[in-house]
Amino acid sequence: MYKISQHLAWLSLWRRKTRSAMVVMMIALCLSGLLGLQGLYDGMISHMINTTIRSDSGEISLYAKEYRLNKSLDYRLSPLSKFENAFSQIEAIDAYTVRLEQEGLIATAHKSRGATLKGISLEKEQNFGQLDAFITKGNYSFGKGNKNALIGSALAKKFNLSIGSRVIFTAQDVTGEINSISFRISGILKTGNPALDENSVFISMEKISKFLNLQQSATQIALRVKETENIKKVQDQLQILFPDTDVLRWDELYPLLIQMQEIMNIFNLASYAIVFIVAALGIFGVMLVSVLERMREFSIMLAIGTPYRIVRNQIIMEASFLGIIGFLAGALLGGVLLFYMSTAGIDMRSFEAGLELYGYSAVMYANMHLYYFFQAFFAVFFATLLSVIWPLRKLKKIKPIQVIQGKML
Amino acid sequence: MKLNHVYKTFYPDSPKEVKALTDINLTFEKGEFTTLSGESGSGKTTLLNIIGGLDSATSGQIFLDDDEISAYSEEKMAKLRLHDIGFIFQAYNLIHVLTVRENIGFIMKLLKFDEKEIDTRILELASILQIEDLLDKLPGEISGGQQQRVAVARAVASRPKLILADEPTANLDSKNSERLMNMLRTLNEKEHVTVIFASHDKYVLEQSKRIIVLDDGVVVEDR
Repeated sequence: MYKISQHLAWLSLWRRKTRSAMVVMMIALCLSGLLGLQGLYDGMISHMINTTIRSDSGEISLYAKEYRLNKSLDYRLSPLSKFENAFSQIEAIDAYTVRLEQEGLIATAHKSRGATLKGISLEKEQNFGQLDAFITKGNYSFGKGNKNALIGSALAKKFNLSIGSRVIFTAQDVTGEINSISFRISGILKTGNPALDENSVFISMEKISKFLNLQQSATQIALRVKETENIKKVQDQLQILFPDTDVLRWDELYPLLIQMQEIMNIFNLASYAIVFIVAALGIFGVMLVSVLERMREFSIMLAIGTPYRIVRNQIIMEASFLGIIGFLAGALLGGVLLFYMSTAGIDMRSFEAGLELYGYSAVMYANMHLYYFFQAFFAVFFATLLSVIWPLRKLKKIKPIQVIQGKML
Repeated sequence: MKLNHVYKTFYPDSPKEVKALTDINLTFEKGEFTTLSGESGSGKTTLLNIIGGLDSATSGQIFLDDDEISAYSEEKMAKLRLHDIGFIFQAYNLIHVLTVRENIGFIMKLLKFDEKEIDTRILELASILQIEDLLDKLPGEISGGQQQRVAVARAVASRPKLILADEPTANLDSKNSERLMNMLRTLNEKEHVTVIFASHDKYVLEQSKRIIVLDDGVVVEDR
């Protein structure tokens, strides 16, 4: 019996090529939109998290206890060798970077405002998070004798600074003395992390150590962990090794990111549901019309004695064939779309200011995961099944002879 | 087949109420070649549909070999139609996605006839009805008269016990009408197939062994 239904379904699809092609095209378009949207939303949030991890927190950061509440140099990590020796013993740690920072006042001849001076090692930051990739103007260098500085793009813009501009930074050293330091801008950084881009000035570790009268000290040590699943394990290990230190994961340091991720997930789910409903309604509409317009044909089949289950199976198989072919076409189209969006990205520079306000990149890159396609398959499968239930119920209720005689549809 | 006090009312208890059949009592013996005759709207098609289980009576009983088929479920009735009844409709009612060959063999396929037997029967009927050249065409590609011949071939292909034909000659020329009637009569005489027509075609009436005349849903003559 299934063979007959299958044969009838195939003949019906093959001999009505235009209708079949239209349905497949519609499923494919809806599906590729669904995949593109999911990839893009995921991409936006993971880009934000990735940027934050690369430019600041790493997967794990170490701070002296109290430092995050009271950013005083009294609460610092020292001596650094103690930490560095421990890191070398932990296999799961991929890279680390050491930072020494102090809040103060940045000034030019015309303007001044509060900012953060960060001492970093360019080499370590490059290994840690490829900080050099965030340079938008100038060079990833502190110049000869480490006399120059890198500056966040939003801060540079506020002060109208360009490469070669001179600025003065004033801050308290560890003894409480107020010192000033002057340097030229050698590079402008745009990390996408608003906290860095709007407030930070980066100088060499040697120079800041001298400026703050500190040796072998840091305010933050950020770590990269080889495998995501090891993050918690490494955190626990370090917390045992350094009980007087705050050992925090990126999601503990940036709970807002997690909230945003959750909000985005809800938004993603809502958008996904809307697109899914539109796609399901589309498939439902086409399948419904396709069954209704052939109600007479099905009625003839029933009238001459064709068991209802054969007609039912034929309709389900037709819908399934269309769903599967539509899914394959949509997966291919969506795959190409996702590949393009994950490599070339989508240029949203016309909305740059608004996007950057929330830490999003002006060029958005999509994520691409295999599970998207599994989800999409189930979405199409579900929509297809849903789309034939009502027509089948209608078909079950009709009196074939009345449809044949044109008295009822 | 026996019909006992069969009534059919469309839209009962409404202003549009139509009494299509009133107190029909008829018996059809095996091997009859009968025509239900009457003016348009006299109830002959309705009666034919009720006999074939395509429509249900408002009241009354229908027996087939002492089995009350008017009490059958839809599924059981569909099985009866598939196995024992061949329908020839006025408007051909072919399945449009199937070729002529597939339409003729459709019921035989449902009845799981052997493929070879199906092919042989299709060719035999196509030859009788002179539609051999049309076998691979779709219904939409052939004329009305040709479609009616295909419908006849489909109805008789599985050799049902009862053939119900609603105005089968309405769209056929005299030559094809004659050919169709000859074929049905042969089936009736050689294989004792019961044939019931609903028709007011003079030629069909001349060929019939029994004529039942209906007027306004009532049997007025049975000869």
